[in-house]
Amino acid sequence: MSDRLRLSIIGALCASLGLTACGQPEQDSVVNVFSARHYASDQEVFRAFTEETGIAINLVEADGDLLIERVRADGERSQADVIITVDAGRLHRAEQAGLFQPAGDLGGMLDRVPDALVHPDNLWFGFATRARVIVYARDRVDPSEVQTYADLARPEFEGRVCVRSSSNVYNQSLVAGMIAEDGVEAAESFARGIAQNLARTPQGGDTDQIRAVAAGECDVAIVNHYYLGRLLNASDNADRAVGEAVGIVFPDQGQGGTYVNISGAGLAANAPNPEAARALLAFLLSERAQRAFAELTNEFPADPSVSYDNTVLEGFAGFEARDLNVNALGENGAEAQRIFDRVGWP
Amino acid sequence: MAITDTATLRRKMTGRTGLHPVWLAAFAGLLCAAPLLAVVWLGVSGPWSDYLIHIANTRLAEFLINTAIVGLTAALLAGVIGTGTAWLVTRHVFPGRNVFQWMLALPLAMPAYAAAYGWYDLTQGAGPLGGLLPTVHGPLGAGAIFGLVFYPYVYLLARESFSAQSADAYDAARTLGCSPFQAFARTALPMVRPAIAAGLALVVMEALADYGTVSHLGAPTLTVALMRAWAGEGSIPDAARLAMLLVSITFLIFMAERALRRRARQTAASGHVRAFRRQSLSPLAGMLAAFACLLPVLMGLVIPAARLGWRAAYTPAATGLMDAAVNSLVLAGISGLLAAVIGLGLAYAIRTRKLAGRASARIAAMGYGVPGAVAALGVLIIFGTLQGWLDTGWRTLTGSPFPLVLTGSALALIFAYQARFIAAAIGPSESALSRVTPSLDAAARSLGARPLELARRVHWPLVSSGVALAGLLVFVEVLKELPATMILRPFNMNTLAVTAHNYAADERLGEAALPAVLLVVAALPAMIWIARRITATERARASVPPSEAIPGLAE
Repeated sequence: MSDRLRLSIIGALCASLGLTACGQPEQDSVVNVFSARHYASDQEVFRAFTEETGIAINLVEADGDLLIERVRADGERSQADVIITVDAGRLHRAEQAGLFQPAGDLGGMLDRVPDALVHPDNLWFGFATRARVIVYARDRVDPSEVQTYADLARPEFEGRVCVRSSSNVYNQSLVAGMIAEDGVEAAESFARGIAQNLARTPQGGDTDQIRAVAAGECDVAIVNHYYLGRLLNASDNADRAVGEAVGIVFPDQGQGGTYVNISGAGLAANAPNPEAARALLAFLLSERAQRAFAELTNEFPADPSVSYDNTVLEGFAGFEARDLNVNALGENGAEAQRIFDRVGWP
Repeated sequence: MAITDTATLRRKMTGRTGLHPVWLAAFAGLLCAAPLLAVVWLGVSGPWSDYLIHIANTRLAEFLINTAIVGLTAALLAGVIGTGTAWLVTRHVFPGRNVFQWMLALPLAMPAYAAAYGWYDLTQGAGPLGGLLPTVHGPLGAGAIFGLVFYPYVYLLARESFSAQSADAYDAARTLGCSPFQAFARTALPMVRPAIAAGLALVVMEALADYGTVSHLGAPTLTVALMRAWAGEGSIPDAARLAMLLVSITFLIFMAERALRRRARQTAASGHVRAFRRQSLSPLAGMLAAFACLLPVLMGLVIPAARLGWRAAYTPAATGLMDAAVNSLVLAGISGLLAAVIGLGLAYAIRTRKLAGRASARIAAMGYGVPGAVAALGVLIIFGTLQGWLDTGWRTLTGSPFPLVLTGSALALIFAYQARFIAAAIGPSESALSRVTPSLDAAARSLGARPLELARRVHWPLVSSGVALAGLLVFVEVLKELPATMILRPFNMNTLAVTAHNYAADERLGEAALPAVLLVVAALPAMIWIARRITATERARASVPPSEAIPGLAE
């Protein structure tokens, strides 16, 4: 079969089936991003990247676990260049599946990120962080009572704690961190205490837990900080009132620090456009991108030196974060879930 | 007698064409079943850990009980609402009947999780209805949500079946002194039982395979157990095993139902359809009937959508919705048409009573009972394997890998949709074909109708509305579909369902509202068209005198 004939047959096939990736795109004029995030900040960052570098971005957004399976199933034919996901647990899973390759130091940009947020073998890094914090009802709870995670597991809080289901990865990563720091027994006794103190069957998302505290259904809740940030920055007065009815505590200050998790990214193992991918990864750590995460998503920039215009988030900043490498959250995730099953945290 | 005749005829037909059409249908069925079979293979061949033992020792009972409560609540609610409203609109005249005919189907276009988010936001302690209504949560709350958004399956199938029913039995019962309700319960209801069963099958499978609603409302079912095995434990083989358990449960339920139904087989003596007269209701009863039809639409669609919309007032509108809407409509349209064809083929395959045909249809339909994410995983495995084979083969021929990447294409998506939703297309066609009795075939054949003529002139007029309905159901399903769409779509291609989900999953209900409402709007023309079509078929049948009820034969 002549090459021309073959090409035309393939062309016809492509056209009729709507298949992508026919023919070879010009090397590195494009970067294929597989992301488990879907935030306005990311759209802004991608637009700015294309504007500054001229490299176009192809985007697929999907839930983390499916994203991993897609890249895995595509194997060496995977079109993924950059894989972005929230939660170190997902990054760990992707790394275990062999989906990443080291990206190097990204022209020195990676030095701006604290070591705890970078994979030990440099297979991925965090570009923004989220803290798992305690919110309490200002009118009913003295913040001095809830200065540590363990405080919420004490008998005084029986029937007063709201937290979402243990199926949620944020809770898994929190307890996974405790396993890494204090061992399985300590983590299990914390989880058991929480399960016994629940004010209601876990339901809804993190925002719903904050609403429940404000409405008096419970007195304290464990949530990610940016959900409170979003309520406090909301244009809806009722939402802001909810945010103002609760106080925030960054737990375990002076006792190891608050557990933080990351939004992270890495270079795909079979990346067809590795140079463009590295450029994007470096751009995620640029001041412009870091500001966008802080201002549009209420996440803390991974680069602590970046300044931003978000007074709510500035008010949160300056706490002591755990110095635990976030990779440990992924390593202990499965054990954490078994703890939840054993103690009856639904 | 008649059955023997058709069997002979069928043998003749087979002899003439060389290849019995059932094999074609069986092939299509197996193709649709492939992703499920891939998941089963994962479960059978994957490494075993102690995870299932751990689950059995801890939460399995809770998962199973919740699954039962969610399934039963959904089935009960959907069965009562769907059958009741179908009976009202087909057999009665009351204010708004024409509008309700299609409006009652609309909640189907509302993604269940969106209805759940809306209702939970309304009724939680902090919500505007908190304290007034019980908080919609737990297995009962989740079952209620499913009942409210999935009852249209029962409604649509039952309505189609009521419309096609002859008034003979009902009128006879009335003449013999039965009250309207008794006559309904003893004659009309048993005759639409296949349709109701088919509708309920879809409701229960949807409810048990759902993840978004049950996890938001705190009603951990087996699907939650399965997703925990996958996401938390990181053991896909164990997730596949739990998926097999889930599918086995739904399969057993419907085997039992079919067995019961077979014992009480109800068919009209012929294709003879004598049209019923719609009963005019008194003004008061008419108002009550209108209210009874309005209530499910309010609760399944308007109230939760309004709550999301209210939150939308405070948030910037999502962008790119027009493109997303076009993508949704094109994908759903193509898939709906294709599924209608395949579904009809499989319904015929079931009707032949040949083992290959029946088995492939039943296995293909089981894909519906699998959680969407697992079905998507099955498709990924299929395409990954296929790609590997193609690459190897192409490399031997040309030295380079196969030039196409199969995932991330419209082709992959449409295949995934067929595999997942073909059950929704088989049900209505099968139910419609059940009206074509063996003696009708025999009569037509004895008058010299050839097989194709038989299908075109006798079968098609009787089944066309069922086939259209099959296409509609798959159309709406594809509009709402999430996991496969997310993971198999080409770069930069959004659909309304994906957009709505992305915002809702991020707890931004306001931004999720507009795409969710657009989903309903996108489904609207198809819903109205199908309502008109069924009404038109009804009218056509009614205008044919009994002796000519079998079209074409009188010529």
